[in-house]
Amino acid sequence: MARQTTGKRKRTLSQQQAAWALLAPFLATYCAFLVYPFFKGVWISLHDWNLLAVAMNPAAAKWVGLHNYVHMLWGRNITWGPLSHPLVQLLALAVLAGAFGLHRAGRLSGRSAIPIAIAALLIFLLLGFTPGEGGRWFDRRFWPTVGNTVLFVTLAAPGTTIAALLLAAALNRETRMMAVFRTLFFLSQVLSVTVVTLIWQIMFSPTQGLIDNVIRVFGGSPVSWLTDPHFAMLAIVVTTIWWSLGIAMILFLAGIQDINREIYEAAALDNARGWKSFWFITLPNLKRTITLVVVLQIILHFQVFGQSHLMTQGGPDDRTQVLVRYIYQSAFRDSEIGRASAMAVFLFAIMSVFAVIQFLIGREKSE
Amino acid sequence: MKHLALGLALAAGLASPAAAEPVTVNLARFFGACENAGTDTKTSVGEACIIQSIINAASKEIPDVTVKTLPTDWGNYYDHVKAMFAAGNPPDIFVIHRSSIPEFASLGALADIGPDLKAAGIDTSDWTEGAKKAVTYDGKIVAVPMDFHANLWHVNMDIMKKAGLVKDGKPILPHSPEELLAQAKKVKEATGKDYLAADFSQFPIGVRLVLSLIWQQGSNIFDGDTATIDTPEALNAVKAITQLFDGGYANPKLNYADSQQEFLNGNAAVLVNGTWVVNEYTKQAENPDTGLKDYYVSDFPQLFGQPATWADNHTWAIPSTLKDQHPEKYKAALKVAAFIYNHDADWARTGHMAVRKSVLESKAYRDLPHRAEYVGTEKIAHDTPASPEYSKIQDALNRNLQSIWLTGKDPKKALAEAQNEVQDILDQ
Repeated sequence: MARQTTGKRKRTLSQQQAAWALLAPFLATYCAFLVYPFFKGVWISLHDWNLLAVAMNPAAAKWVGLHNYVHMLWGRNITWGPLSHPLVQLLALAVLAGAFGLHRAGRLSGRSAIPIAIAALLIFLLLGFTPGEGGRWFDRRFWPTVGNTVLFVTLAAPGTTIAALLLAAALNRETRMMAVFRTLFFLSQVLSVTVVTLIWQIMFSPTQGLIDNVIRVFGGSPVSWLTDPHFAMLAIVVTTIWWSLGIAMILFLAGIQDINREIYEAAALDNARGWKSFWFITLPNLKRTITLVVVLQIILHFQVFGQSHLMTQGGPDDRTQVLVRYIYQSAFRDSEIGRASAMAVFLFAIMSVFAVIQFLIGREKSE
Repeated sequence: MKHLALGLALAAGLASPAAAEPVTVNLARFFGACENAGTDTKTSVGEACIIQSIINAASKEIPDVTVKTLPTDWGNYYDHVKAMFAAGNPPDIFVIHRSSIPEFASLGALADIGPDLKAAGIDTSDWTEGAKKAVTYDGKIVAVPMDFHANLWHVNMDIMKKAGLVKDGKPILPHSPEELLAQAKKVKEATGKDYLAADFSQFPIGVRLVLSLIWQQGSNIFDGDTATIDTPEALNAVKAITQLFDGGYANPKLNYADSQQEFLNGNAAVLVNGTWVVNEYTKQAENPDTGLKDYYVSDFPQLFGQPATWADNHTWAIPSTLKDQHPEKYKAALKVAAFIYNHDADWARTGHMAVRKSVLESKAYRDLPHRAEYVGTEKIAHDTPASPEYSKIQDALNRNLQSIWLTGKDPKKALAEAQNEVQDILDQ
């Protein structure tokens, strides 16, 4: 009998042991596929690491310390001047002043104002660095690529958010037709990047595309959307908005349906319908969803790759070259895994900043 | 002694069934996808289907060897192959451009197949000089050549006739940048169509065009470790092209697909593209729905002192690790290479030029459609300088040239920047 009891006891796990046992598969996978590769990436970024050379001979990786980071971020004879990019830097100063002013006027809480002010100040300071007399960046393509990525995000994230919000508001009715529309608009989300870019390459084609054919009907001359330096970025932004509408729309629909019906009824009694009710009731009540969607979109769009790679090949003249594509090219085409890893760490840092901003704003709301 | 003899006999007995075991050879290639290519190497049409039919036939006809074609698309081909090498799982045989051989061979990634070619049934004395040079790195033969391909002048004869630019059934070619411009003007005035179409905005056809014109002046883009792009020769080459854009005789914003479409729709007199489309365009011209009715292929014209056109080779290489670690598989891969090589004449149907003297001299080869129109290309073919960094250099050139014709940047400034950028690459 005694033996049986001990046997039973052995088989029972304590609560803590059970927790670890249940967590173990997840932790193992998480470490193997996320934590380990991340630190390995940081490790590689400290080396001169040629993909093919190291594949043939593991000893070919050379420790270079922070050289890859210096090469990526710095140059020869870099100086700082206040207005190297006057338009963007003045805009950043204006945002900085705006955040300060709104905070003083009590329209903006400190926790919202501080991240905005810091971001604006960073933009103002960073853009001031330029090569002086006879100087140049070590990697001439890096900063323009970062600029392109930021431009893409500043167009695609608000674009998707606004389009999804308007769609959600318009489709939030319990009719069969609306259900069909909701499905239709969501459908684009399930397509792979290859299919999406193929569809839009055909749409944008100056010889056989739908858009240019419509332009021709109205007597216009066709535009080479994907190879015109003025339109290429816009073209991939439009494609991206169309592609990523679905999830944002569903989040907004859920958010809208969470709003108490009684508020709308009360507002209707005060004659607030349509735009008015959207502006004064829906929008304020959706603040948290909007924040969530915007931050999600920012983090998502910083990782843009397929659209640029498949539709424009980063061109024309590098105008649509984005960070992930540059990382990919450096790693695989140029075999420079060390340099590519340094850029990946840089991208990680940018995305962490946005994650922290979301955290700060989120904490403010819950208080 | 008796024991030794018995042992040897046993070893031989054991070895022979092992050799007869079926081997699967993983093959990587670009050229595009062709489903249901079949195994008839004589009737397939277009690059993708012709190569796939040859591979399928190899898999069927070589005893105990099965060939598996790995899915790799054109745009990311080398990235994919390098990633396979890095993962320790490279393809057993793969197609590689002459221009990419230095990058792989300089690291010892390609097997030295020279000593085994004879046993595989490949006679190197049948190779053209150019082919031999293409696959030789550091004195060793590291690949089996399949073709050489070059930029051609694809011509719509109807447009040229209307512009009065045809003589004795052949298009009149320009002999200087001035004549090029004059021809373009004539075409525009007589037909309202563009003179020239090419991909100047994505795929580096524009780069290859400029390279040809630089070579025609005896110059180059780099010499050893020194970039030589910021030169009067490069400026002349660029200006010969930009004058066509400035006059409205060519559209720099067309990409590869759109430039082909313009030509096939009958909207451009000349298309600059490679040998690989000759078979395809010949078929298209037979189709009454296509705007191109009377198709002619000419050698790339000589606008400066000496003739030259951009050229490269397709060759087949085997990883060095396969030779060292899996000799049986290596032998099988060589058999596949030999099979493809033996079908050089079938492959040449695409429009590419053969690398075997026996094929080049055969009547069947000379009788291929349009072949007689560009026989001179073999003599004017010019290689890019061998460099492990070539793909990077080509990309730098492509971006800087795009900035000239797509954003209107001053050619002198753009060439100076290209010079700096390429020098940086060479210095690394």
